[in-house]
Amino acid sequence: MRIIIVDDEMLARGVMREYLAEHADVEIVAECANGFEAVKAITELAPDLVFLDIQMPRLDGFEVAELVGGKTRFIFATAFDQYALKAFEVHALDYLLKPFSQQRLDQALAHARAGEGGQQAEVAAAARDMAATRARPAERVLIRDGARVHVIPSEKIDYVEAQDDYVQIHSEGKAWLKSQRMAELEEQLDAARFIRIHRSYLVNIERVARIEQASKDSHQAVLHDGTRLAISRSGYQRIRAVMQ
Amino acid sequence: MQGALTSRGAVLYLLAWLLLGAGLGGVVTLMSPGPWLHAMLFMIPATLLFAVGAGFSAYYLCRANPLGERAPASILLALCTAAVVAGFLWIGILQAWNTLSEAFGSGVTLKPSLVALLFGLGVLLYGLLVAVNYLVMEFSRARNAEKRELESKLMARDAELRMLRTQIDPHFLFNSLNSISALTSMNPKGAREMTLRLADFFRQSLGMEANRKVTLEEEMALNRHFLAIEKVRFGERLVHEEAIEKGAMACLVPPMIVQPLVENAVKHGIGQLPEGGLVLVAAWRNGSQLKITVSNAMDEKAPERRGNGIGLKNVRERLACAYGHEASVHWKKEEGRFIVEMTMPAETTED
Repeated sequence: MRIIIVDDEMLARGVMREYLAEHADVEIVAECANGFEAVKAITELAPDLVFLDIQMPRLDGFEVAELVGGKTRFIFATAFDQYALKAFEVHALDYLLKPFSQQRLDQALAHARAGEGGQQAEVAAAARDMAATRARPAERVLIRDGARVHVIPSEKIDYVEAQDDYVQIHSEGKAWLKSQRMAELEEQLDAARFIRIHRSYLVNIERVARIEQASKDSHQAVLHDGTRLAISRSGYQRIRAVMQ
Repeated sequence: MQGALTSRGAVLYLLAWLLLGAGLGGVVTLMSPGPWLHAMLFMIPATLLFAVGAGFSAYYLCRANPLGERAPASILLALCTAAVVAGFLWIGILQAWNTLSEAFGSGVTLKPSLVALLFGLGVLLYGLLVAVNYLVMEFSRARNAEKRELESKLMARDAELRMLRTQIDPHFLFNSLNSISALTSMNPKGAREMTLRLADFFRQSLGMEANRKVTLEEEMALNRHFLAIEKVRFGERLVHEEAIEKGAMACLVPPMIVQPLVENAVKHGIGQLPEGGLVLVAAWRNGSQLKITVSNAMDEKAPERRGNGIGLKNVRERLACAYGHEASVHWKKEEGRFIVEMTMPAETTED
């Protein structure tokens, strides 16, 4: 069984390594000290199981789990985090409370081996829950591009365009694709800053230079960089209400 | 009037009535023919008896009918009845005493006009006693309320410090325990040292009282315990320095006023930096002011996370509680560092 340990504390990784040494079939393929390293290692090494600390610099455990979907199984570890504990319990995820015993780790490992299906869906749901309880409105959007993670601060987003099951996020002249539904992203971002002007467009109000009449009864938003976005009738009501 | 009066109070009370009795004796001398000594012998003992009897009666009557708890009319009726009864009893005492005195060759002539006057005075004196009792009750009630308010303020402060203590992040405690658990096999000596440091930290912080200021030196000792523990967790990621002016060490500060800021600096500053950084605590006297700054390296790209403000808000409230407008807290971001600056009066003795 190929395993990755992710924890920013050296001693915490040490105790995990010591406990795992009891299991002959376990191979520790990587140890990571932060979320970015973890995303890279998980993407490249495709481990069977990841032990993931929640509180880490830059990317926390839930953000890592959200970014690296796929077949990887996760066992979360935290010392004390009431939000995380609630998410674990709601979604019946396995987790280790630090400090934990060898027996508790063996038990978690046995669960993972038994491979109760459908964990990925639970992890995704828990990650969404965490986004909802921890930092709302979201201060940043995370996008995975292969083994790399891009962090886009919310205020630097110009607008978001819906594309089927994806959203295209436009920021500073570049565009990023993220696998997420528009409604979900809209819910996470600051509603005072991001206005849904159209079924397909969510715009950062600070980037809008003016609103123009496009035809007899349709309007469009002109952004500071000259981009023109269609405005729907209900979108027009919303943006007028904010811009006045 | 037991309970309300000390023995000195009782003597003073009786002395006042003795004078009153002498005064009444004078009145009787003027209104009734006969030697003044007889008048005094008639009035003074009777007055003292009245003082004791009416005093107890008024005391219990007032406590049985506190103002504002019953209808004013019913209280007034009860008091008037009591005063009139007291007046009659007073006359009864006087006449009985006079009869007894006459048997010993003393006594005075009780004319109806004198009896009427004495009755009126008895009723008035009783009324006066009631008024004094109510005044005393009001006064002590106000004082009690003040005391209670003061006590509840103190209790609130204690509760606040207790809260602050429990606000010492449970995350900190459990992570420290996890470090100890890891060290026990890797480095048993290190594990023991960590246990001792945790014990030192908790012993000192649990021993602090909200309303007793501590010297900056004591506060810094607490911070050193805290940072030593965090240093075991974070290893080389956490670097810590102190720059404290000598004169500042003796200044008094509210207990645990720097610790939450240092905790924040580690948790939100160093804890968010993969390569770590420096936590610097500096303090100096600036004339009559004490300035303390806590600064930490920060991840400039990281968004502010929820929870950042709680420690700071708490420090601000506690400073305001201790010094009013004479203290302040500000924070700023400068060249990749997050800096919190506190200003408070430089005190070296508790006022």
